[in-house]
Amino acid sequence: MSGPFGVIAVFETAEAAVEAARRLRALGFRALEAYTPYPVEELDAVMPLRRRSLLPLLIFAGAIIGACCGYFIQYWAEALDYPINVGGRPYNSWPAFVVSTFEVTVLFALAAGFFGLLASCRLPRLYHPIFAAEGFERASRDRFVLCIEASDPSYQSGLLRRTFERCGATRIAEVPG
Amino acid sequence: MTAAAERASRKLVIEPGVTLRSLSEEVSGHVLRPQAPRWWWIGFGFSLALLVVLAVAVIYLFVNGIGVWGVNIPVAWGLAIAEYVWWIALASGGTIVSALFYLTRAPWRSATNRIAETMMLCAAASAGIMPILHLGRPGFFYWLFPYSNVMGVWPQFRSPLLWDFVCLLCYILMSVMFYYVGLLPDVATVRDLAKTRPKQILYGILALGWRGSARHWRRHQTVYFIMCAIMAPMVISVHSVVGLDFAGGLTPGWHSTQFPPYFFFGAVISGLALVIMLTLLIRRGYRLQQIITEYHINAMSKVMLVGSVMLAYSYVWEAWGPFYGGDIAERTEFVDSISGLYAASYWAKIVLNAAVPQLLWLPAVRRNEILLFCIAAGIIVGMWLERFVIVIPSLHRDYMPSYWGDYAPTLWDWAILAGSIGLFLALFFLLLRLLPIVSMSEMRAIIDKREAE
Repeated sequence: MSGPFGVIAVFETAEAAVEAARRLRALGFRALEAYTPYPVEELDAVMPLRRRSLLPLLIFAGAIIGACCGYFIQYWAEALDYPINVGGRPYNSWPAFVVSTFEVTVLFALAAGFFGLLASCRLPRLYHPIFAAEGFERASRDRFVLCIEASDPSYQSGLLRRTFERCGATRIAEVPG
Repeated sequence: MTAAAERASRKLVIEPGVTLRSLSEEVSGHVLRPQAPRWWWIGFGFSLALLVVLAVAVIYLFVNGIGVWGVNIPVAWGLAIAEYVWWIALASGGTIVSALFYLTRAPWRSATNRIAETMMLCAAASAGIMPILHLGRPGFFYWLFPYSNVMGVWPQFRSPLLWDFVCLLCYILMSVMFYYVGLLPDVATVRDLAKTRPKQILYGILALGWRGSARHWRRHQTVYFIMCAIMAPMVISVHSVVGLDFAGGLTPGWHSTQFPPYFFFGAVISGLALVIMLTLLIRRGYRLQQIITEYHINAMSKVMLVGSVMLAYSYVWEAWGPFYGGDIAERTEFVDSISGLYAASYWAKIVLNAAVPQLLWLPAVRRNEILLFCIAAGIIVGMWLERFVIVIPSLHRDYMPSYWGDYAPTLWDWAILAGSIGLFLALFFLLLRLLPIVSMSEMRAIIDKREAE
């Protein structure tokens, strides 16, 4: 049995959580994560810097791959494998292929976004230690939760509890590991 | 209440009494309560009865062939095609509410988008069965897929009918993914509120372990925005291609460049009409008046009015084109559609889709729920008639007088219509019971903004 996963603090308002996160960052904590019932923009600015999300690029790549696949399958079928002369049109009659190519393009782009989102959020992952913390279940409803993970080099339970209390946390709990 | 206060209350996107807590508990409560309300059982039972009608009609159709319908030569496309267009327009309207108005940041979209998306999925299911039922040999529907087969043949990709198949397939797959991404945070809320073990497991699996961390939210917002930006042009393309199914044929009355936008305008008005009807009912049934306020209804009515005006423009164009073009067959077909066998349908569509909705210019009509519901229901019927008028009168007055013929739907045609409504309603009632019908995470952001003011 290893040590605890971390410590969480529950806040009633987004402002209190943002302020606490700011203070913790100033104290040098790095393994900080916030859990909120809706996206809070101010928190993003406070959170430790991560590399920029590659998701838009991934979606673009999906679109390019979709466009190539969508066009190629039509070109292959109509011009190479099974050429039929329809009213003297060229076998590679690209204007007629545009519509299906567009549809497959957007399908691949959207699917890239869908699966990219799940992968970058590391989902599905049905169990996570944070779920065991008391009071965490309200983070999906009306509470704002900050968590300092035990992996933080300056992790120290006593100091953290004092800081959280000063910031107005309504509840502080240890996350079992 | 004074007049000024009343005016101010009409502008509220959400009533002041709603808090983060009450919102989550109220919306999730409808999903989690052990016993569904009585109106739900009545509605669901009614839809199941219609679903049985569908099953019987489909079995009878598959056993006896497509001759059980009123279709014949020359009118080879019957009600099933008209209803395919009708259903896919309703589905498209749901996507328009959800995706297009997300991009415009319309504040009324957040309380109604889940209703619109649920409607889009259910209507797409009803649309999807129609072309397959209308195939002479439905067992071979998979020949539409481009797959390597021993016959050495491929589908004809130059045909608008195949474009339509590709569109519908992509649209349904994309709709499901789009719906699920928007739903994910709300399912997590239901999971955290669930008290019984089976529900915790069900919603736990559906939520995929969503935690609502800052990292999750940022990625979610990025992807959701891009998804909306993809879905909006996608849905325009889907319904335009349905228009091309007709415009690509040489039949008089179909062969028109205005068909793609004409069909899209129809999707706007009929989709909005169905969203308004469902919203009015759900708002009463679930007592969501605090979350779905008069503001939402008013805003959607205005969009529906815009749809009506756009559609009226298309009707004018549809009448003007044959006389300007000078093609005698086009002119004959048009004169027949306004004065011949199917004239009643033509004039009913004009009244229901273009004339009556003009009442929505009056604010008092937009506030009167019963009147609004009736106008919306009239539009749904009117749009069905419009599809009927597009499909059938054109075929029944083709170029050659020797090729003219009449069409009358049989009992089995109507059974398929009733059954497809049953399929839509049954799916809708199930999703209404099983998943949150209001996007809680988006409403929370609105509450937060309201409190910051």
